[in-house]
Amino acid sequence: MNYIFHLLIYFEIYVIVAMSLNLLIGYSGLLQVAHAAYYGIGAYTAALLMLKSGFSFLPALAGAAIAAGVMSLLVSLPTWRFRGDYFVMISLAVQVTIYAIMYNWTDLTNGPYGLAGIPKPALLNSIYATQESIFLFYGSIVVLLAGILAVLKQSPFGRSLQAMRDDELAARSVGLPVRLLKIESFLIASAMVGVAGGMYTAYVSYIDPTSFTLDESILMLSMVIVGGTGNVRGPIIGAAVLIAIPEILRFLALPDAIAANMRLLVYGLLLILMMHLRPQGLAGKYRFE
Amino acid sequence: MQILINGTIQGLLFALMGIAFSLVYSTTRVFHIALGAIYALAPYILLFFIENGHGWVMGIPAAMMVCAIAGLICEETLHWPFHRKSAPPEVHLIGSLGMFLIIIQLIALCWGNDTQVLRSGIDQVFVIGNIRLARAQLVGGVISLVVLGIFFLWLRRSELGMQFRAMADNPILLSLLGRNVRNLRRLVFMLSATMAAIVSIATAFDVGFDPHGGLTAVLAGVVATIMGGRGSFLGAAVAGVLLGLIRSEVVWHFSARWEEAATFILLALILFYRPQGLFGRAMRLEERP
Repeated sequence: MNYIFHLLIYFEIYVIVAMSLNLLIGYSGLLQVAHAAYYGIGAYTAALLMLKSGFSFLPALAGAAIAAGVMSLLVSLPTWRFRGDYFVMISLAVQVTIYAIMYNWTDLTNGPYGLAGIPKPALLNSIYATQESIFLFYGSIVVLLAGILAVLKQSPFGRSLQAMRDDELAARSVGLPVRLLKIESFLIASAMVGVAGGMYTAYVSYIDPTSFTLDESILMLSMVIVGGTGNVRGPIIGAAVLIAIPEILRFLALPDAIAANMRLLVYGLLLILMMHLRPQGLAGKYRFE
Repeated sequence: MQILINGTIQGLLFALMGIAFSLVYSTTRVFHIALGAIYALAPYILLFFIENGHGWVMGIPAAMMVCAIAGLICEETLHWPFHRKSAPPEVHLIGSLGMFLIIIQLIALCWGNDTQVLRSGIDQVFVIGNIRLARAQLVGGVISLVVLGIFFLWLRRSELGMQFRAMADNPILLSLLGRNVRNLRRLVFMLSATMAAIVSIATAFDVGFDPHGGLTAVLAGVVATIMGGRGSFLGAAVAGVLLGLIRSEVVWHFSARWEEAATFILLALILFYRPQGLFGRAMRLEERP
């Protein structure tokens, strides 16, 4: 039973990740491969706030959101004008640089040894230590964030984003503030994935830089691509599918050394198949054009 | 002086990698990440031939041929079908990412994740004045100079080289003029894979190889291409050498741990101050892909 709840909690965390990435890919049309870096910033900020400054869980989550948001501003303010391949390159640069910082700034992040003993999630005075309670608590956060995104999607802001995604020049010509829209959507997506990072930290109570590599970013990207872009349910399906795949492979009883490679192999196959057969994803609405 | 020489040799290999990437990128607009996987594949094929007692003379051409076929497979299964559907660059990129994962994981499944070497013992060292050069470095430098020289001569002087430049300029016009763009594309993918194989084998002879080194290599190529300016082969070569010099200076003055981060900070600075690259020409917004 614990195993099922463990998977469900991971699923909840990745739903937030995939939804926030979808805001960038599906609504703003910005393909990003640095999502794990912002996720990592959120995770490290929350961990450090709880370990070193004695913050409780929710303020630490807020701190994680702010840190990831500020980082996104540092990136998006100078680079908002890049699109397509160049934007991918920039985000790749961000991913590699932030990973190098996490790995090498040993005074703060303890480098490759990681941070251990991070407190479990808590609300006011009740500490959630069992899997079931964490599942319910995180579930409420997911519902809250998904609600915010659903409202945003219907709002003038969401419509402007989609207009910008479909035709940036036309959007500018009717007076939409393209620069502001990109920076804002980037900010919201990064803050949300920062929250997810904080939730991950509190759940596993140990983090090290290897959880925030380019491979992780690719996994997040695959979730959105496979599930579908441009609506709320696509990323949820994608997160479910991509979390289920390694578990299904586990039941095939492959040796450990092969299992990790097989998983990535299947991700690769999935990406190619999706691009050939359904570029908009299993349940998506928007396809790249 | 020693650092300058080391940097130049490293830079020449980067330059060749930059040319390999930019061959595909500037002629077909495909962001060929799978080139990194082909790069990783080459030394394994060579190792396979050596272990089966065929020696270098058979092994090196065989490795280059297998890589060329792998490049051709990328074009036939991914990029040509996508191109026929006039898919956007994002689809090519994600498909290529999928192919990258598949090839890398297949390599890891066949040969394991460990680092391997092509030679055993300490390499022969030549001392010229106060500079010390390993034989592998010397050979790598000479080979990349020769290949670069042949490539540029071929690009300037031959009919086929002219077609390549025309394709980098305007592929649709070239096909309207009755040239077989389909075959040219095939040739481009095979040529670029062969070049990647040459760089890879030269590097593997010097420092060994593992399945995951390909991404770093292709990223160096990408950075060289973007730094040099889209569509400029000379730019990519010069930028590659520059990149090698700067990276070795960073290693000397700071630490090898910041090498990757330095590459990307450099890229970000160039994109910010000179988005068209060192040798590129500025384009209007609508012209930009």
